[in-house]
Amino acid sequence: MIRPFTPRVERQFIGKYRPKVDGKEKASGKALYADDLSLKSRFPGLLYAKVYRSPLPHARIRSLDLSAARAYPGVVDILSYADPDVAALKRTNAGWTDGVDTVSYRKMMWGTFRDRLVLGDTAHWVGDEVGAAVVAESEFAAEEALRLIKVDWEVYPFVLDPYEAMKPGAPVIHPEITRDNIFPPDPFGGEEVFVDKGDVEAALAASEVTIECRSVYHNATQGSLDNWCCVVDWKPEELTVWSNSYAVDQTRMHVSQMLDLPLHRVRAISSYVGGQFGRGDTGDQPFFLFTALLSKRTGRPVKFRHTRRESFHDSRQPAVYTARVGAKRDGGIVAMHFTSVGNAGAYADHTMFALKYAPKEITEVALAHVPNVRFETRGVYTNKLPACMMRGVGNSQFNIIFGQVVDLLAERLGMDPVELAIRNFGHEWESLPDPSLARVLKEGAERIGWAEKRHKPGAGPLLAGTRRRGVGFSFHPAWHAEWQETRRGKVQVSITLNPDCTVLLNAPSVETGNGSNTCNVLGCAEALRFLGVGFEDIRWGSTVDTAIGLKDCVQTDSAVSYLQSEVMAVAAVELKEKLLEIVAPALGAAASELDIAGGEAFVKAEPSRRASVRELLLQGDLAPILVLKSRAPLATRTGVPFFANFAEVEVDEETGKVEALKLVVLNDCGTVMYASGAEAQQIGGQVIGLGETLTEEIVYDRATGVPLNFNWIDYRIPTMADMPEVEPVLLEVWKGAGEYGACGIGEGTVTCTPRAILNAVYNAIGARVDEIPATPEKILSALAAKASAARAAAAGATATAGAAGAAATAARAGAAGSEVAP
Amino acid sequence: MAEQARKDLAPAGQAAADPAPVGRIRFRVNGAEVEFGPESGLSPSTTLSYLLREKLGLTGLKVSCDEGACGACTVLRDGKAVLSCMSLAIEADGHDIQTIEGLAPDDPVVEAFAEQSEPGHGTALQCGFCTPGFVMTTKAFLDENPHPTLAEVKEALSGNICRCGSYQAIAQAVLHAAEKIERRRTSS
Repeated sequence: MIRPFTPRVERQFIGKYRPKVDGKEKASGKALYADDLSLKSRFPGLLYAKVYRSPLPHARIRSLDLSAARAYPGVVDILSYADPDVAALKRTNAGWTDGVDTVSYRKMMWGTFRDRLVLGDTAHWVGDEVGAAVVAESEFAAEEALRLIKVDWEVYPFVLDPYEAMKPGAPVIHPEITRDNIFPPDPFGGEEVFVDKGDVEAALAASEVTIECRSVYHNATQGSLDNWCCVVDWKPEELTVWSNSYAVDQTRMHVSQMLDLPLHRVRAISSYVGGQFGRGDTGDQPFFLFTALLSKRTGRPVKFRHTRRESFHDSRQPAVYTARVGAKRDGGIVAMHFTSVGNAGAYADHTMFALKYAPKEITEVALAHVPNVRFETRGVYTNKLPACMMRGVGNSQFNIIFGQVVDLLAERLGMDPVELAIRNFGHEWESLPDPSLARVLKEGAERIGWAEKRHKPGAGPLLAGTRRRGVGFSFHPAWHAEWQETRRGKVQVSITLNPDCTVLLNAPSVETGNGSNTCNVLGCAEALRFLGVGFEDIRWGSTVDTAIGLKDCVQTDSAVSYLQSEVMAVAAVELKEKLLEIVAPALGAAASELDIAGGEAFVKAEPSRRASVRELLLQGDLAPILVLKSRAPLATRTGVPFFANFAEVEVDEETGKVEALKLVVLNDCGTVMYASGAEAQQIGGQVIGLGETLTEEIVYDRATGVPLNFNWIDYRIPTMADMPEVEPVLLEVWKGAGEYGACGIGEGTVTCTPRAILNAVYNAIGARVDEIPATPEKILSALAAKASAARAAAAGATATAGAAGAAATAARAGAAGSEVAP
Repeated sequence: MAEQARKDLAPAGQAAADPAPVGRIRFRVNGAEVEFGPESGLSPSTTLSYLLREKLGLTGLKVSCDEGACGACTVLRDGKAVLSCMSLAIEADGHDIQTIEGLAPDDPVVEAFAEQSEPGHGTALQCGFCTPGFVMTTKAFLDENPHPTLAEVKEALSGNICRCGSYQAIAQAVLHAAEKIERRRTSS
């Protein structure tokens, strides 16, 4: 049964179910993406660039022989690391910002980890873009020429596993940053122990109940269908870069700072982007720079794009978490100690955001009432694909241990995990229980049928001879409230009112699919409802171009859905003031005596004296009225709302296959800006979430370091046939600052899926798998461990009391699967 | 005619040069006849997706995986859905190709995808990159099975990937499209 969301405050436009503003354009195939906009027919003289990719995981180029490649028909030029233009480029990082603000080279967030060279001479993973880039008349010729490049390699030993990489004598991957592959402390992330509240060891020692567990998050990849693509045309007067970057102003800054061009000589343009999901971190990618240099050298526009294989270019940051948690018998948690080891892969980028910054924020907004908390982490370089943001940064990795702690501790205490969570977690501005968390979890429990379906682990009925069902959940604090967006700096919006009362809206933000464009049009219509402006009266543009002189609001944290609408609400007030001044003479009253409603201006004291604003404007000078507003996000500390996923699964104990039967996705939104879009994000996130949990995994050949499945046949993304019913639940309990007080939701909808499913699996079969993807092999080996522990326990029952105790311990360890730290 | 065109194909190019140009091929795209000869720079390995996008500017179809795994490049050949990245341009010779650009402005499938927004399922498209592929797969599917069940829809469209994950709404859009087609058929 579908239960539509009902808003807390009924509004005319905001919060509605309706089609997307770009629905027709996209459904008819007319929406143009970077690869469509950059056809040769649109760019006469277009050349194509391809970059050399290392076949080795760790090696240095001693020399390059480019002669055969240069001689290949169609090749126009080859740029290599030895060229002065390239050698002069500064060391960099692909995560200058966390995607919310525009950041200069000097102020880049992870300046401690400037570990990337543009076309460097050293390869750090198989696929690293190193050495040389070819530019040719056709992509085919460029690819063929790459094959003819002869490289004399100095081959270094490599390491893929972070624990191996930390051992003395391990290959050193970035000696310029660290001699032991472990990331040094940095000004933004802090020390290795980055949260240390109270006295964790003393509190654990004094706890009545303690648990220990471990969870492993692997390296899934974003999998945007729209592979990276850019065209750079470097003319003497201006460099223009068309791309599918989702951060246009930052792209301009990146190119400007790296190529030493003033900002007004760089123009960045993005159109529709076919899925972002955090790929490439904030897009400060070296390929923009060598493509630009090739354009400069040839004097022609140059296109560079990734193939699908090459778009396996970053992964979520894999992390191994352990937890030790102490509680009182009544369920009050007194101490939490988390450790993590993150596999950064070949380049640091946003690794420390995932490992330190996100958990630190979570401590503030979810663990505030736990008196003793300690977090420590190690980010480690290896020779794998670089780790990166992916629909969140660090949240999913923490949630997989957090949700395990809740489930495991509740089991030990004999409590309902829903009650345990509500009893303990919330932010520091609120007393417990946190109303948002309580509502989200209680609603989720009802929707999944928690009371009827939750049973003791593995104690449900056997279905079809081999299958058991279970339910589980996980929850998380949001990280997209307005106060959390203050680092973004000013959000800029312009509204131009035409004399016929139609509207040109400039709320620059690259449309990556998450629905914020529709939110913007709804927000504009809502703000201008005093003019009687409708959805169809507003022109929204799909192209974001730095030439218009406004900074785009970057699609991170899914916060654009409300940030620009908040600014529009303020802009509308100013627009009304301007209009009142304009129409005052015609109504023979002072502006202060007038108001406008329903498109008519009137004298407040004598409402029958009124006139249509449109008619008055059409009789005037016909100049459009422009309001431009720059407003920083409100910093008022409002706490955050919570979100959760509940899952019901069926596990086949014979084959080890896990099938998700139903997922319930719950978000407290503050205010739902656009109901259909929000539900699309809730449902849609489960494709990434379920894929990461069950099937998606990048597999390496350990002997060579070669990734084996950079394609969508062996890297298995769920299709329509793989997906269960997903029930989206939108709630409005918490409220932030501002007109709407909303909170982004889309990014986080994937966060709780893995742990919700793993907890449901445990509920189904009574054996824990705490490493994703939960493949049949892992399920079967957990079941085997459970069976052997049960046999040991049965044997122990006939032995001495002491031996029985030991067997019980073994049974717990076995039942807990891999929860014991290595 | 088509036979002759195939015989005219030049052999594969030599290793040190671009492959040799092909002989002539002729086919219909969205109702209009097109012809390509040696002057167009095509090779025997040129894919239909490349020809449609790069030579004819028909960018509704997308090339994402370029190896038949995602369905974004789906077009119709003689009314059947084919992956244009896995079809050679020469295989189009003598056939009728339809791309999303050839659909009527009020095409019921396009409308159903664009409008999908009722509570409980989200929208049938988000970033929109996979959408033309889904629309064309749906066109061919509903031609064969005008009154599908939800299970049949899920099976039929499981060759297309939507990373934004709009599957649930896409399935609804397909069912709505079937209703629209039926309504138009009975009212005309």
